Amino acid sequence: MKQIGYAKASPNLDAIFSALADPTRRAILVRLAEGEASVGEIAAPFSMSQPAISKHLKVLERAGLIVRGVDEQRRPAKLQADAMGVAVEWLAEFEQFWDGSFDQLDSVLMQMKKSERGETGNE
Amino acid sequence: MSELPKYVVDRKFEAPREMVWRAWTEPELLARWYGPGVETIIHKFDLRADGEWLNEMKRGEYSMLSRAVFTEVSPPERLAWRQYSSTDRNWQSIPNPQMPDWPRIMLTTVTFSEQGGVTNVRLEWAPYEATEMEVACFAGAVANLGKGWESGFALMDQLFAELQA
Repeated sequence: MKQIGYAKASPNLDAIFSALADPTRRAILVRLAEGEASVGEIAAPFSMSQPAISKHLKVLERAGLIVRGVDEQRRPAKLQADAMGVAVEWLAEFEQFWDGSFDQLDSVLMQMKKSERGETGNE
Repeated sequence: MSELPKYVVDRKFEAPREMVWRAWTEPELLARWYGPGVETIIHKFDLRADGEWLNEMKRGEYSMLSRAVFTEVSPPERLAWRQYSSTDRNWQSIPNPQMPDWPRIMLTTVTFSEQGGVTNVRLEWAPYEATEMEVACFAGAVANLGKGWESGFALMDQLFAELQA
């Protein structure tokens, strides 16, 4: 089932998954959805030091989920939509495998019921 | 070992348990529904503990091969198999270059229970004999797939909407 996803998968997917697995990093992404921000601005609502936030940003950057600006002072972080799109698409596809299979199983069971009734009727 | 992350799905079917069990364990029935929108070809289906299930799913010219080995066959209650992520034409496990840390072997456990002619199928999916990296990779996926996934998905929809605004 996962192989279906592999066909479209990005080489970065592991990094994306580990990056998204952390609640702080997901919260950072939500913050960045409002617009680009410096480390200080991102750190403000968290009870976390700037170096700790910087570490999270590095993980997000390596996963290709954000890009950092060139401004030496601020290095504002910005969301990069493409990478997240890959993860979302892949995960959605994965769930759809069983959803889609189960829908098909529903109709197979319906046919089994019908033919069982048919056989009984013929006897 | 601490508890491993797993992915759990429940689904109800309007059919007695024996019938649902048959649909999962008779290859000609299984091939009719396993894999959405693909042609499923079951090359081998040896339904017993340590028996093999060699599966091919075709979509256009692309074939996905997988090899599973049953770990539990307890009709009509429980069916479990360990599955090797990708295999070559000789059914030998191959690491996927695009997802090196995805668990190489996954354990699928399917539990069937019936109440008033309706069968509940519980599907559990977990890494099998996985390395720490593999468990971490899977945990990351489950964090987004499992309970929190619905909201995670909404969150990302919102993110994309805002990005496109």
